[in-house]
Amino acid sequence: MRIRCPSCGERDNGEFSYLGDAAPLRPDGMEASAEAMHDYVYLRDNRAGEMRELWYHGAGCRAWLVVTRDTRTHAIREVQPARDVAKARATTPAGSASHA
Amino acid sequence: MAEHATLWRPRGAWADTARPGRHGRREGPPGLIVTPREGLALASVTAVDGAEARLAEAIEARFGLSLPEPGGAHLSGEAGLVWSGPDQWLALGGARGDLDGLGAALRGAAAVADQSDGRAVLRLTGPDARRVLEKGVAVDLHPRAFGPGRTAVTAIAHIGVQIWQRDDRPTYDLAVARSFAGSLWTWLEAAAAEFGCEVRASA
Repeated sequence: MRIRCPSCGERDNGEFSYLGDAAPLRPDGMEASAEAMHDYVYLRDNRAGEMRELWYHGAGCRAWLVVTRDTRTHAIREVQPARDVAKARATTPAGSASHA
Repeated sequence: MAEHATLWRPRGAWADTARPGRHGRREGPPGLIVTPREGLALASVTAVDGAEARLAEAIEARFGLSLPEPGGAHLSGEAGLVWSGPDQWLALGGARGDLDGLGAALRGAAAVADQSDGRAVLRLTGPDARRVLEKGVAVDLHPRAFGPGRTAVTAIAHIGVQIWQRDDRPTYDLAVARSFAGSLWTWLEAAAAEFGCEVRASA
């Protein structure tokens, strides 16, 4: 599998490490219920199909990326810098981007 | 505080490994010529969010060079800037002290950290220089995809390296974290053996 890093171009997946689902957003720790924190820390969907994931280009430009990948085929549809995704989320109204 | 005499002496990053002379294949001209680069000035430059335009101006004023785009290296002799990550560059100076004052010059526009003793640099040239590097990296170094003024941050034998090409002889500079210099040399000596490798005195 190869990932087309927005900065570095197409690279072998050995240069990247996988974090997981990019959708969960950390609840406000002071306000969130125990259930909300439990959900954020432990509960994940095991999706067969397209999914947005966080990958780290550790052996390259050291950027975090949001990769849209089909878990059945490894086909990658989109790769975005995670920083851009976070910035876009910060400018959208609260609650509208719960699935990043 | 009392002065203590020590036996500590400055030592080149490649002093124990890159022995000058001919290595590997003995017949014919060497395919790879290696020059350890000592005494350079190196600094990492990380743009302050939102101050990119001001940083570009300050770099232009100091180096007479524009900030390279991703994958680019803007060089003028031994000085220059090499892209090394989103909003990050490696600044180069040919001699220790050449980057003195860079932090102050870029104050508010970038974070600057001295890397002169943190990275070890080799210059690789010769007719087989590209073939040697290709044995280690999963990046296309062919002229159709790479060339003078291009850089790649990647790994060789699981060791993080940064490569930038200087000219199309071809000549590459290769930087590695200093503590990995010995490990990288083990790989390089083995990879270059089939082509014959001449190590020159450090410069």
